[in-house]
Amino acid sequence: MSRILSFLATFLLLFVVFIIASASISPMDIVLGLITSVIVAAFSSTLLIKEAPTKVFNVIRWAWAIAYFFYYFLIIEPKCHWDVVKRILHPKMPIKPGIVRVPYDVKSDYTITAVACSITNTPGTVVVDVDEEGKKYYVHWIDVKATDPKVCHEMISKTFEKYLRRVFD
Amino acid sequence: MWEVVNQLFLYIGMALIVVGALCDLIGALGLLRFPNFFVRIHAATVGVIGGAVYPLFGLTLIAFACDFLGYWRWLFASGSFITAIIIMFTAPAGSHALARGSHRGRVPVEPKVCDFLEEDKGRS
Repeated sequence: MSRILSFLATFLLLFVVFIIASASISPMDIVLGLITSVIVAAFSSTLLIKEAPTKVFNVIRWAWAIAYFFYYFLIIEPKCHWDVVKRILHPKMPIKPGIVRVPYDVKSDYTITAVACSITNTPGTVVVDVDEEGKKYYVHWIDVKATDPKVCHEMISKTFEKYLRRVFD
Repeated sequence: MWEVVNQLFLYIGMALIVVGALCDLIGALGLLRFPNFFVRIHAATVGVIGGAVYPLFGLTLIAFACDFLGYWRWLFASGSFITAIIIMFTAPAGSHALARGSHRGRVPVEPKVCDFLEEDKGRS
């Protein structure tokens, strides 16, 4: 049962992406999309979704994902861009780089990856390594304000975790 | 009504593209000015997100507003939107792989305040 559901979820996501990318609902595009999505989903559904495929059909998770998308692109990213742009253009270049520990408190693989990608996508912080046993990221930070792991978690990854836990976990 | 919305989309899209060009320029300056590899990755991130993803979203809005393109404007809009989303998902994987590989390959982290990864795992 769960294998059928995960196949269906992968197939639906692929088909929607195909239709959006081809931007037409002519019969040929629909048939081509159906065939390619069925083939790709048959091969990759067990790799992509390992646990609880019902999460894909949960509307509240999608709403949180869209809210996170807008919050991320309208507020978080411009702030970090402005911060790094100021550092680049400043004549004295006020940087204090270093690699700090940032603990995380999420369970599923998708959430760990999404939080790491969010941290890397904001200028100023790059995830260098992940320690899955110790549950922490090693983050290269352009302006080390604190070396204590809890303060770093507060300043770098708290908002990402708050939203992404509701999407993936 | 639709005229106003189209004009709004057009101006927001153009503003996003100008912001993207500025971000690309400043990212290139940062790549030249910053002292070592790890700090330069941050300047490259400014070039990727500010210089590629935001202009592609702007292009999506402009394509929505261009009525004279007729049917083809949906193709432009969806193509640039999907490209923006894919760049957003794949760029962090690339910079993470570069950072991890160069830290394992003993690329110097100087100047630095602290390096807890080296303290915890060493540089093997």
